[in-house]
Amino acid sequence: MPIHEQNLIRPENIITNEELEIDGIDVSGHWSTFIESRVVTDYNEDIEDEVAALPGGEYINRCWQCGSCTNSCTVNAVNPDFNPRFWIYLVRMGMESELLRDKDIIWQCVSCNKCTYSCPRDVNPEGVMKALSHWLELKGHTPKSPSMHFDEEFADQVFSTGKIEEGRVIRGFFQRTGQPLIQDWLVELVKRLIRHMPVKLLMTMGLANFVRPRTRDWGRAQAAIEEYVLERDAANRKALGLDAAGDH
Amino acid sequence: MTKPILIVGGGPAGLSAAQALSAAGQRAILVEKEQQLGGAPILSGYAKLVPTGEWAKDAIGGMVSRVEGSDTVDVRTNLTVTNFEGGPGNFIAKLSDDTTVDASAAILCTGFTHFDSVNKPEWGFGTFPDVVTTTQVEQMMSSGQGVRCPSDGRKPKRVAILLCVGSRDRQIGREWCSKICCTVSSNIAMEIREEIPDCHVYIYYMDIRTFGLYEDLYYWRSQEEFKVKYIKARIAEVTSNGDRLIVKGEDTLVKRPITIPFDMVVHAIGMDPNIDNIMIASTFGVQLQKHGHIQHADTYGGIARTSREGVFVAGAATGPETIDDSIAQAQGAALAALSVSGGLSVAAE
Repeated sequence: MPIHEQNLIRPENIITNEELEIDGIDVSGHWSTFIESRVVTDYNEDIEDEVAALPGGEYINRCWQCGSCTNSCTVNAVNPDFNPRFWIYLVRMGMESELLRDKDIIWQCVSCNKCTYSCPRDVNPEGVMKALSHWLELKGHTPKSPSMHFDEEFADQVFSTGKIEEGRVIRGFFQRTGQPLIQDWLVELVKRLIRHMPVKLLMTMGLANFVRPRTRDWGRAQAAIEEYVLERDAANRKALGLDAAGDH
Repeated sequence: MTKPILIVGGGPAGLSAAQALSAAGQRAILVEKEQQLGGAPILSGYAKLVPTGEWAKDAIGGMVSRVEGSDTVDVRTNLTVTNFEGGPGNFIAKLSDDTTVDASAAILCTGFTHFDSVNKPEWGFGTFPDVVTTTQVEQMMSSGQGVRCPSDGRKPKRVAILLCVGSRDRQIGREWCSKICCTVSSNIAMEIREEIPDCHVYIYYMDIRTFGLYEDLYYWRSQEEFKVKYIKARIAEVTSNGDRLIVKGEDTLVKRPITIPFDMVVHAIGMDPNIDNIMIASTFGVQLQKHGHIQHADTYGGIARTSREGVFVAGAATGPETIDDSIAQAQGAALAALSVSGGLSVAAE
């Protein structure tokens, strides 16, 4: 049966059942197409508090929906579905399912901060976008992006030794992202390194892979950093009602 | 000795006019139809006033006692004016107890009437006990009882305030903005959040008109410090699922219908013209404007004028008005009345 103005209905809300009987009446097939309700039946008051508890999200409750952020947005100019104003509203009213529809583009914010400077209420929309991406990830709605894996590997090495060692970063990154260590471009890179690099530097690099040099007297700095990172992470997880165990 | 000036109505405007005349040494007769002075803030039991935050019983109550204690103000409660004859400097007013008083001028401070929410039956007032008006919430707060659901006395967990109830609505012949309800509602929302921190307050609006300096003090502050939520939706109907109230409408920002459960729904009721305005207009021979408020004549050339010379007007009698502006207008009206009574030269001597 044709549906008038079908473009107003989301495809996933149009439901046809192969075999269905309701109150003794056969409603199978496309003659009995159902349209799922779009009605918002409740507000979830927790989501705003959760996003507001993450760094950057503190001022989300100031928003009055003027749209200055979206109007000034770099990403919105490329992708009209990227709409910070709308997401801020969904977070504030707790419309979670609506919000999750856009989970794969929310993290695309490029942090240009044009919204930050156009917002009349100082909501700090760029911070909200960061907090929201973080929220999606902590809640398990979005997987870690490759860049997040890289950041974590990089940071973990700095935290433990005060230094990074490129070879280890690459190995760790490959491991986290499930990539094989032997890759054509990497083999070629290593070959050329061996051919052109001074022997002494090569030896230093090779050695570093086994002895893991540390910054002198790193211990106290490491302890302080680790304490802070764990504390922040625990606070974030607690605000979201998650158990204490974090990644770091 | 000049003849006294007649003040009709003992609310903020009438009290302010009486205070001003008293300060000028001019005799006044203050006629009030109710038993006590104070007008809506006292008679309807308002809580904390905008913008001072003072309790109505202290702020307006203070005006009442100053007027009652004045030697130059003759307060007549429980009375109305039934006839008003003569001209500037020589009016004769007949009161409902058949006494007559001479007056050199009159100031109408006859105020307004709260909109009666039963005229919007789709919003549930009178049908569901937990649908109340802003005036009732003011009373809950000023009585010290606190904001509670009338049905069972519980603390609400979620409150909806509907704006523009009895305002900006051609369907019920009210084409004006009542001016104060946005600010009053944001004030009430903050009071509720303060009293019951785990109660969420939602305000459903078409436009927010917390004009002038109320913008940041009320609208912004309610969002920033008290996390009150504002939703652009004119509610279609308020029903019940037998347990809680159900508010239905369209959330215009997400273009989706909403049916949200609430414990309490508050109507931000507007300001109607005084229900007696037709009588008042005919008694004093003044014209009403098209909505039924007392018409201002000559905005730029004179002060507080009506269509009848020697009869002045101030406050919400002319249309929706704030308490502080009513007070200021009445001071202007007192000055205008003094100029008719000859009281200005008396005060100068």
